[in-house]
Amino acid sequence: MFNFQDITTWIHGMLTGTLGLPEWAAILTESIGVALAVITLYAVFAIFLIYMERKVCAFFQCRLGPMRVGPWGTLQVFSDVFKMLTKEIINLRQTDRFLHNMAPFLVVTASMLTFACLPWNKGAHIIDFNVGVFFFLAVSSLGVVGILLAGWSSNNKYSLIGAMRSGAQIISYELSIGMTMLTMICLTGTMSFSEICADQAVNGWNIFRGHLPAVLAFIIYLIAGNAECNRGPFDLPESESELTAGYHTEYSGMHFGYYYLAEYLNLFICAGMAATIFLGGWAPLTIAGLDGFNEVMAYIPGFVWFIGKAIFVVFLLMWLRWTFPRLRIDQILSLEWKYLVPISMFNLVLMALVVAYGLHF
Amino acid sequence: MNNDNNYFSGLFGGVKSLCIGLKTTMREYFTKKITEQYPENRNELQMFDRFRGSLVMPHNENNEHKCVGCGLCQTACPNDTIKVESEFYEDADGKKKKRLTRYEYNLGSCMFCQLCTRACPHGAITFDQSFENAVFDRARLVRVLNQPGSHVAEKPVVKKPAPAAPAAKAGEANA
Amino acid sequence: MTEQNEQSKPQAAAAKPAPAARPAAAPAAPAKPAENELKPRVLAPAEARAELVRLKEKEGMDYLENLTGVDWGEEGLGVVYQLENTTTHQRVAIKTLTADRENPFLPSVSDLWDIANIYEREVYDFYGIKFTGHPDMRRIFMREDWVGYPFRKDDETEKNNPLRMTNEPLADTTDSYILQQDGTITKETHNIFEEDEYVVNIGPQHPSTHGVLHFRVSLEGERIRKIDPILGYIHRAVEKISENMTYPQTLALTDRLDYLGAMQNRHALCMCIEKAMGIEVSERVQVIRTIMDELQRIDSHILFFSCLCQDMGATTAFLYGFRDREEILKIFEETCGGRLILNYNTIGGVMADIHPNFQKRVKEFIPYMRKNIKEYHDIFTGNVIFQNRAKGVGVLTRDQVISFGCTGGTGRAAGWSNDVRKHHPYAAYGKVNFNEVLRTEGDSFARYMIRLDEILESLNIIEQLIDNIPEGPFQEKTKPIIKVPAGTYYSSVEGSRGEFGVFLESKGDKSPYRLHYRSTGLPLVAVMDTACRGNMIADLITIGGTVDYVVPDIDR
Repeated sequence: MFNFQDITTWIHGMLTGTLGLPEWAAILTESIGVALAVITLYAVFAIFLIYMERKVCAFFQCRLGPMRVGPWGTLQVFSDVFKMLTKEIINLRQTDRFLHNMAPFLVVTASMLTFACLPWNKGAHIIDFNVGVFFFLAVSSLGVVGILLAGWSSNNKYSLIGAMRSGAQIISYELSIGMTMLTMICLTGTMSFSEICADQAVNGWNIFRGHLPAVLAFIIYLIAGNAECNRGPFDLPESESELTAGYHTEYSGMHFGYYYLAEYLNLFICAGMAATIFLGGWAPLTIAGLDGFNEVMAYIPGFVWFIGKAIFVVFLLMWLRWTFPRLRIDQILSLEWKYLVPISMFNLVLMALVVAYGLHF
Repeated sequence: MNNDNNYFSGLFGGVKSLCIGLKTTMREYFTKKITEQYPENRNELQMFDRFRGSLVMPHNENNEHKCVGCGLCQTACPNDTIKVESEFYEDADGKKKKRLTRYEYNLGSCMFCQLCTRACPHGAITFDQSFENAVFDRARLVRVLNQPGSHVAEKPVVKKPAPAAPAAKAGEANA
Repeated sequence: MTEQNEQSKPQAAAAKPAPAARPAAAPAAPAKPAENELKPRVLAPAEARAELVRLKEKEGMDYLENLTGVDWGEEGLGVVYQLENTTTHQRVAIKTLTADRENPFLPSVSDLWDIANIYEREVYDFYGIKFTGHPDMRRIFMREDWVGYPFRKDDETEKNNPLRMTNEPLADTTDSYILQQDGTITKETHNIFEEDEYVVNIGPQHPSTHGVLHFRVSLEGERIRKIDPILGYIHRAVEKISENMTYPQTLALTDRLDYLGAMQNRHALCMCIEKAMGIEVSERVQVIRTIMDELQRIDSHILFFSCLCQDMGATTAFLYGFRDREEILKIFEETCGGRLILNYNTIGGVMADIHPNFQKRVKEFIPYMRKNIKEYHDIFTGNVIFQNRAKGVGVLTRDQVISFGCTGGTGRAAGWSNDVRKHHPYAAYGKVNFNEVLRTEGDSFARYMIRLDEILESLNIIEQLIDNIPEGPFQEKTKPIIKVPAGTYYSSVEGSRGEFGVFLESKGDKSPYRLHYRSTGLPLVAVMDTACRGNMIADLITIGGTVDYVVPDIDR
């Protein structure tokens, strides 16, 4: 199995040994390199996901999707991004200029921090410590501050209503996400993402290992995760038929672009987290008894596994989005408080019993 | 207890309805797509023959049209889209006759109501199937339909061509 | 296009010779009296109101079908009320007028019928007649700073109203005129919205208003307290333009009213003129018109489904609807040459005979559509999210829809049997078997289901007729210049979203003296305030989508 730690150790060795840098300088250089890598990856994934969304959505709708720019429209997103970069950022009268400009950065920062939590490969964790799950939950909820600020500072009634809806929605669904994560932590017994993955590489994917409660948790996680990303059918903070564009109505150019970026990246983060917790992260698929098959699977590097699983989940989420109509705000809240929260609490108890009596695989 | 049943039946009924929806979209995912790839399909793209693209005045190979310049189409038009200019001249026998000098048609104000083609007693004008009519300057929508140097066909055609008005309109023309 | 029409129209009117004086002998007098002549009873204003009250209370004339303002010149300004009994479907017309052109007052009937509120505002806007006792005497279509009343025959519209470069003012107050005991009339002013209300503008440019429509919505959190619709952003004065046009020319404008009922609108106008002139169209034309009307209805209902899905966020179902609508548009395009502006019916027939492929295509379409309706039910109707958002939302009772005159699917969803095809059969509807789809819930879900069931019913009608199109001419011979004998005429058809009526007052000229269309959409917008109060903003979208108004039909 390919271990990314070999590469990082080699780089560190080269910086300190071959180049003779002191320890602090080596770490500084590495940090800058990692940050650049994260930002690049972030942009690349956003572009890929936007293209994927447009194609997948088109295929669900009996269309072909973008076909004009580049072969099969592959350059469409690049031209869109370029267009967005060249657009003017409009400053509005009677708005809180400082907060208005800060809001998109908050959203994007929160999503980048969570992006950094993802375990890409064995040994390739950017942020990894013993309470990683807590860290993830904490930084992911920073984004809602950006959204609320955007709604408040825009001095627009649509934006304000959109932001308020978003606040209510994200804070509610955070509960379900926390609860399902807790359920899985119950099974793995650790809060560090790297250990969760390593555990699954040895014992098999959590979703198989934890059977019924794990599957239930997976479904609840997908629903709540979708709601956290403000994506359809939970896209009512920006429901265009009511609030034109919701909290980002007044944003233009790259400021709007940040929201757009963050939306898609949150989708990937949500999918990546599902892959980490339920589908084994970078762990390959192993079937007990089929040694030959397992060996072949193990040759596929971990990051391919991870990205593949995440994209599979992304596809599931897109399938949901392009099938269902939008919920109403009271329905969103009753879905969470009347269905998801009680079920996930019950599920947590169930999982605890399963673990206590050793009923898992 | 009844309330509890509602809770669970509602939950499972709801989940089932969502699954039916998911199944439907997944089936459509693999069906043939309906997108028309215009302009790549320009060669195959065929408009229906009754499609009204813009008004034209067909000319034959001798650069002759059928318009006598009577102006009935101009009167029939609700939008003043057509301007017919004609002049009087003396033919070989010394009779005063009217002939068309300029037939101006403004595509920009035409609403394709077909009153002009129905009013025409000679079937001189008709609609063609062109649809790529976008131009950058509004003035270019004003078209002169009679070709330079063209004149009316020597023998006025009494029989009407197919796409023109039905028999009922002959009465209107004579009025 | 529209703008150009309006600009070019005055010149056109000027360029044309003045209408010839009426010939001494009645022109083209039909052998028998026209069956659609109204012959309204003329009553003095106070008596007219007393009679209307009596008709409503005693004779069950509870549906105000139409209210038309007319300028009779020397005689004065007035209105024609048309009532219908909703059980016996008997119709009656009352005319009242006032000779005072400076300060015309008539008693309001807005307390008898809710829809009179909007209709009387329209009459006030165009003719300047003030209705005493009306709670909200504001202009409805024209700008609030408009000078004069454009539909009056002596109005100097262009002189008084140069092109204004200022923003359109929106009043926060409204007037009402009260007739006191001693006969004097006093004016009262009230606020539309209170100082501390949270008012959000939905429109004029908004994704879900289906056109240029403006709602001022007062909110309490997410709940709606009051809606004030502001209309007229795309008003083209089709009725006024028609007064300067010959009858064949007026036909071209009907396609541009309710563009999803183009066939039916034009059918109504043609039928009104034909009946007034005593022209009998052939059986073939009757059947072709019926099939076309039903295809148009299916087209409209598919678009209804699509737009509702789109408004509620189900974009995929929206495209499935458009995919199927394309098939109907192909059928239309092959025979009529147009997809939206069909331009097919003419006075005395249709523009061209059906295309040789027509029957084949329609027969292919019927099973195709039946199959796809199932898909609609799978992806959208059964969906628990949609059901929760539609059931019990925006409930309208039978009494409310009758009082508001909400015909079509909106009325039938509340249990009001109002199908013109059934109660006043025209064209070939008397010969086919079909059910009038009725439901009793009156909520958004019922309104939605009515439309989908009507698609199936329309397919049944087409199926019965498509193989039995009788032979015959597709166009009757008409006089070169069409002149309708003097009189008042009214014909109505079942449009895609309700009763579409044509009120025609003729003085025997080649242009109509007054042409008024009973809009199918105006009552539907008028009812929005009642339907939405107490619901949420998201419900406004659902209710607006399911009552199914089309803006160019409201702003005629």
